[in-house]
Amino acid sequence: MSKLVTGDGRTHIRSSLMRESLVDKRVIAKTDSEHELAILPDVTLVGIGGQSIFDRGKDAVHPIVQELADSRGKHRIIVGVGGGTRVRHTVSIAVDLGIPTGGIAQLVGAMEEANAVFLNALLARHGSIAMPRDHFWEIALYLDAGMMPIVISIPPYHFWEPPPEGGPLPVHGSDFGLFLHAEVLGMQRIIFVKDEDGLYTKDPKHHSDAKHIPYITLEELSHTMPDELILDRTLFETWATARHVKRVQIVNGLKPGMLTRALEGEDVGTVIIKEASRG
Amino acid sequence: MADRKIIDSMLADATLTDQSEAIRNYRPILMMPDVKVIKIGGQSVLDRGRSAVFPILDELVAAKDQHKLLLCCGGGTRARHIYSVASDLEMPTGVLAALGGYVPRQNARMLQMLLAQHGGIFMLHDDFEKLPLYFNLGCIPILTGMPPFGYWEKPGKGGRIPANRTDAGVFLTAEVLGVKRAIFIKDEDGLFSDDPKKNPSARHIPKVGASELLAMDLPDMVVEQIVIEYLTRARSCTELQIINGMISGNVTRALAGEDIGTIIYKDT
Repeated sequence: MSKLVTGDGRTHIRSSLMRESLVDKRVIAKTDSEHELAILPDVTLVGIGGQSIFDRGKDAVHPIVQELADSRGKHRIIVGVGGGTRVRHTVSIAVDLGIPTGGIAQLVGAMEEANAVFLNALLARHGSIAMPRDHFWEIALYLDAGMMPIVISIPPYHFWEPPPEGGPLPVHGSDFGLFLHAEVLGMQRIIFVKDEDGLYTKDPKHHSDAKHIPYITLEELSHTMPDELILDRTLFETWATARHVKRVQIVNGLKPGMLTRALEGEDVGTVIIKEASRG
Repeated sequence: MADRKIIDSMLADATLTDQSEAIRNYRPILMMPDVKVIKIGGQSVLDRGRSAVFPILDELVAAKDQHKLLLCCGGGTRARHIYSVASDLEMPTGVLAALGGYVPRQNARMLQMLLAQHGGIFMLHDDFEKLPLYFNLGCIPILTGMPPFGYWEKPGKGGRIPANRTDAGVFLTAEVLGVKRAIFIKDEDGLFSDDPKKNPSARHIPKVGASELLAMDLPDMVVEQIVIEYLTRARSCTELQIINGMISGNVTRALAGEDIGTIIYKDT
């Protein structure tokens, strides 16, 4: 039984943080470590674009479903999906109506969950399972049963979305949510499936002189961050202080075999590597 | 290859990472601007037990017919114990945040039991949209202060204690409701130049701007650092008031709008 400590009007439990202000930077530093537990390190997270893949319908979705099905038994995979054009439409209407930022964040997740249901319907016969957020720890059960969990990609910030820098739009989107899902479970690699070959110096849909970036470190990328990004900017900012994710890869899901090759460890699309363990 | 089936809208073509020109005129509506969002401190109030908690509840109950009160609970020493053990076991920040959520929820349930006869009602984050109902029924809704980020809390720079804890949740609750001032009931007269419990020469700061406060780079503060950062970008909740709940009458005065304790305001 831990010791209770009194004497200053409060009742404390003895611990290394007893009586401490958790705001004190000196106290926070005591909880730092280079040896953080990796809970499920050998799992790969695959994020599938909403607008880039789902909104194109079966021509784009079916081949990816097949590649995911074929990967069964070879890789332990968790899948997440983006929301796509319906998210943008939701945000447009909500902004026009003057819905507060947290209210917008509360709304958008529904569109991503809808895409997760689509994907699960297509993949169920190959062992997928759509996971409600509350079933967080059942992920190990599904993986051990050889199944492919489809997680909710948008993080649960909801009404409590922090005020963004520069503009009303929530910044904690599905790419970011999937990144944190991988990070908290100690996963080392994430593969995002989009409709471009990866990162470019500019948005290749609008600039013909955009140059493809095949391989870059997070450190280099942070110095030359393009204005238009294929992934949430918040993902990269958070990665800098993350401890586990080492490799984020973006592949073109419209080209057959790219996802499979990425799962095999090939450097296709864009590979972003974090070299230093800590930012 | 099939084209993207796009719904036309002002953001249809913009990358969502972009801040479009069409949203410059954005003015958020105020959902429930007349609610008093009040934090009851964990270590500072609840861990002191009856002698500290009962007088504060008496003042809140006395005010409940004049004000819509939304109470949010802090964690306190049990949360510190959880963070300490979890950190020793090398748990990631997101797990600490999920674990840290249990204690303020316990505290909220305790307050609900104490306030049940006065309409105290425990609510979960998922009940948030029922707030108008609770107020129309004359209830005092009680919510955890912890925001619902849980496993999705960002890993921090210098340590593993989650940056968004119960102060952050209280601020964010006020911000989305469109409430101008969030009230934090603690056991100090507000903000000091250092922790007054450890440094007796620490000076009281009655009023300070958020960016001014960040520039002071104090080693310790009475509210979470991230809340001050959020305050610089707030659209609705532009003031935090920290009051000493150990002094009788302070809660009543703060509810009446008096500038007691410390006011931290948006100065950007």
